[in-house]
Parts: sequence; C-alpha cells; structure tokens
Amino acid sequence: MRVSLARFVLKRPETSAVVVTAILVTFLTITTGGTWLSFANLQSVSRITAVLAIMAFGEALVISTGEVDVSVGSVFAMGALIFIGVGRTVNLGVALLLALGGGLLIGLLNGAVVAFFRVPSLIVTLGTLFLFRGIAYGVTEGFYFGASDEVRSRLIFNVMGGANLGGVNVAVLWALVALLVLHVVMFYMPMGNRILAVGGNAASAYSRGVNVARVRLIVFALSGLLAAFAGMLDAASIGYVDGSFGELMELEAIAAAVLGGCSLVGGRCSLLGTLLGAFLLRAVGSYLVILGIQPQWFILLLGVIVVLASLSDRVLTKLLFRLQQR
Amino acid sequence: METERAPLISLRNVNLWYGTVQALRDVSVDFYQGELVGLVGDNGAGKTSLVNIISGIVAPTSGEVYLDGQRITSFHPKLAIDLGVETTQQSVGLCDNLSIARNYFLGREPVRRIAGIPFIDLGKMRKEGRKAITAFGLRESVDVDGEVALLSGGERQAFKIARAVYFRSRILIMDEPTNNLSVRERERVNDLAVQLKDQSLLVIYITHDIFQIHRIADRFIILENGAKVADVPRNLMSAEDLERIIREGVGNDAGSPRSG
Repeated sequence: MRVSLARFVLKRPETSAVVVTAILVTFLTITTGGTWLSFANLQSVSRITAVLAIMAFGEALVISTGEVDVSVGSVFAMGALIFIGVGRTVNLGVALLLALGGGLLIGLLNGAVVAFFRVPSLIVTLGTLFLFRGIAYGVTEGFYFGASDEVRSRLIFNVMGGANLGGVNVAVLWALVALLVLHVVMFYMPMGNRILAVGGNAASAYSRGVNVARVRLIVFALSGLLAAFAGMLDAASIGYVDGSFGELMELEAIAAAVLGGCSLVGGRCSLLGTLLGAFLLRAVGSYLVILGIQPQWFILLLGVIVVLASLSDRVLTKLLFRLQQR
Repeated sequence: METERAPLISLRNVNLWYGTVQALRDVSVDFYQGELVGLVGDNGAGKTSLVNIISGIVAPTSGEVYLDGQRITSFHPKLAIDLGVETTQQSVGLCDNLSIARNYFLGREPVRRIAGIPFIDLGKMRKEGRKAITAFGLRESVDVDGEVALLSGGERQAFKIARAVYFRSRILIMDEPTNNLSVRERERVNDLAVQLKDQSLLVIYITHDIFQIHRIADRFIILENGAKVADVPRNLMSAEDLERIIREGVGNDAGSPRSG
C-alpha cells in the first residue's frame, strides 16, 4: 500500500502541488470571509497566474535538463518593451514578430553558451539577466511605454493579451494552449524523452546517441521565447510597460516549477504541476493584498518558499525512492 | 585466425591524448566477426579508452580506424550505433529517471506520425521492452513502466545487452559487465556473451577477472600503459600466464612515451 502510494507520487510529481493547492484555496477562502473566492479576485489571479505559468513552463523545461535560466525576468521585460515600443511606433505585426524573435534569440544565446562552452547556466543567465535589465532601464529612461487607444483597439493587441473573453483574460487561454502543447512534447514526443534523459543522466543520453548540446540549446531557446511571450501578454493586458517590468519574476518562475514537482537536479518534470505552482504563488500574493499587507513582504515569503521547495524536492525524492525499493 | 578473413574493425597506429596524458600509444589491432575477444590489463591501461574510440565517444588524436574496410573519419555515439556498434558500459547507458520502455528506445524512439508530427509509439516501446524482460531473464515482476533504477546490477547488464541485440548490432562492446554482480548473474551475462558470439557477432569483453574471461574468450589483447603488449589466442596462453603478464608487465619499453 505504502509502496504503491510512493510509486504513484513519483510517477506523478504534481501530486503534492495538487494537495497543497486544495488546502490553500480552502484556507484563503475561509480566512478572507469569501473575498478571495470572489469573481473579481479570481479574474485577476487567473490572469497573473497565466502570465507567470507561461514563463514557468519554459523554466520547467530548462530545469528538466538539470540547468536553470535566471534571465527570464529580463527577457519578459524585453518582450513587453519591444511589443509596446515597436507596436505603437511602427506596426503591431512587426512588433509581435520582433518581440518573439528577440526572446528566442536571447534564449539561443544563453543556450549556445551553455551547450557548446559548458559554462554553468546560472552564471550565463545571470549575465543576460543584468544585460537585458540594463537595456530595459536604458531604453525607457526611467519612464514607461504606453499603448494608445488606437493600438489597444487592434486585433493583434487584443489577441496578445489585451482582451477578456467571458471575463477571462486571453492570457489564460494561451497558458492552457501552452500547457497542452508542451505536455504532449514532453511526454508523447521523442524530444521530451531526450530532455528528461539529459536531465537524468547526460552521459548516458549521449552514449545512446542523443545530441545533448542540441537538447540544451532547444530548452533555452524555448525558455526565452516563452518568457518574451509572457511579457507581451502581460504588457498588452496592462497597457503599458516600464524598465522594471518582470523584475524578480525569474525567482517566481523557478519556484513555480519546483513547487510543481520539477526536480532541480533535472530528469523530472510536470507542466501541470508548474501551472499549479504558479497559481500557488499568485494566490498567496493576492491574499497578502487582500489582507493589506505590504507587497514587499511577498519577496521574503517568496525566498522562504524557494528554499523550502528546493529542500523538500531533495528530501521527498529520496524518501519516496526508498519506500518504493522496499 | 582462419584463412584471410577481413577484419570487421581495424585500428592502425592509434594514439589518444587527454590533455597532457597519453591514454593510448600507437595501438594497432584487428577484430573479426564471430569472435569473443577479451580486452584485459590493469587499471589505467587504456581498455576503456580503446573501446571509447570504437563506440564513437572519443576521436583518436592520431591514427586510423576502419570498419568493414571503410575509414572512419568522424566519431559520435550516434554514428557508431547506426553502424552497428553497441556498447554496454559500466556506469553509463541507462537513465535512472526513465522507465524501462523509454530507456530501451532512448535516442531511437519509434514514432507514429500524425499530420507529420512525430509522436512516440508507447505501445511498441512497452511491447518490445516487455519482450526483453522475458527473453533476457529479468524478474517477471519487473514492470516495463517502472524506473530502471529499480533493476538489480545483473538486470541492468542484461537489459543493456537485450537492447544491443534488439538494434541488430554487429559489434557488442561489454565494459566490465560483471562488476558488482552475484555469481549467478555473472554466469548469466557470460552465457549471453557466448550466445551472441555464436550468432556471429563480434564481442569485445573488458574485464579484470582473468580466470572468468579465459573460460569464454577466443583471444586476448593485453594493454599496458596505453600500449598493446600482447595479442594471443586462448590456446596459446593459460589463465595463469595471462594474469602474470598483467600483474608484472612485459618489462619492455612499451611504456615509454611516443610522439602523438
């Protein structure tokens, strides 16, 4: 009985995220006297969850290979700034392509350095985190880029985060599409098998003929692409973007992935869990807002969550494995 | 050897350097189809370096490698596997986090295309994985969807051998396949090696266990300090002599460095 439970949890790494989410939602609803569960709050939580989740999906892929991408917060800002900045001056279609292409390029840059020069990914992406944050502050010059009413009325703008459908922001639909596609890629396509293999044992994967460098390049490229996409969606739904856009979100993306059951040492991944992880973080954030607690405290809480999640990741995996072997 | 068979693999004056360390010194050796060759020597003698070249993991610093008489110019595991060279290594080859079925086909996943998009054929992976579990003597309780980490040492080896056979390799390199195995598991793995040789595969078997390899191999190649010091058929050397040479060395200048 215990053994089969351990197997179940190991096979479905999102189990603990599901349980924690259920408990947390109940707790938040009761302690706020139902305010947390109100439509207005859920509307806002679902949108910010979706934006974080899209970024965290990319992070989850990178983490699955045993690497980490801390540059995503800055890539998020670049995606947003290019989309609004170019969109309001040149053309929204061009802006869309440039924003996504920019994210992809930054991801490829990170990935190439990691894959071909074997520089630790934390160092490489820390570099690009600062580099592109610097550019974000530089181009905005302490001000912000806002979208005009004309821009806001355009179809591309609405599809890319500007519109609500039945009260739900389109970002939520995009997150569900991304979840579905990436889940299929990870678990039903050869690429996913190889991503997990590289994270589990890169030398073994290489000996079986897996192109390990290419796998690393691809996950970083996807991470960049998704972070820029998330930034675009967020900027379009808010309507403006400044240089600090997405700051510290890289930590939330990592936390969401780890909370969701992705192993920091690689080889284990759950995208559904990552979505729940993103939801957990955003739910707690909105709870603090409802309680009127200063948002700065969320950063402290985020730090605690990241440390605990990564610790429990190691402890839990070992424990489950031992149970299973009996 | 019998009448003028062409070698399946041929290494000519191969040198291998890792930085300033020379792992192989001017090694020339031939391997033929349908033989079981024991590759022996002390730790650091260059056994693994030699097979790493054949299995495409490293490229020689200088020298030539021929497969079927064709010169090999680029070295990559994928290429070697495609040419029919399978390797069961001591420490690598299996990803503990993946299921048996997924490991079986890692890197060569069978796909079914729907609208051109490749989806892995999980049904086929399970079916073939299941067959391997039965045919290669793994416990019947082993689940094809279970993680490879749950296999015993002998089962891991048998599983790697099963995979090599499934992909119709012509050359099987076994690097210390019986390390950490129970006596019974060791027998099982050695039986498999002999069976594959009888099916006219070339089996290159690396081991420290001289007496064990002497019973099953047709020929021995002894390496010392990266150089080939002996290449003898079994009937010309007893296990005791073989062990003495490895322990005491041949005492010539085979260990002196040469230019790469």
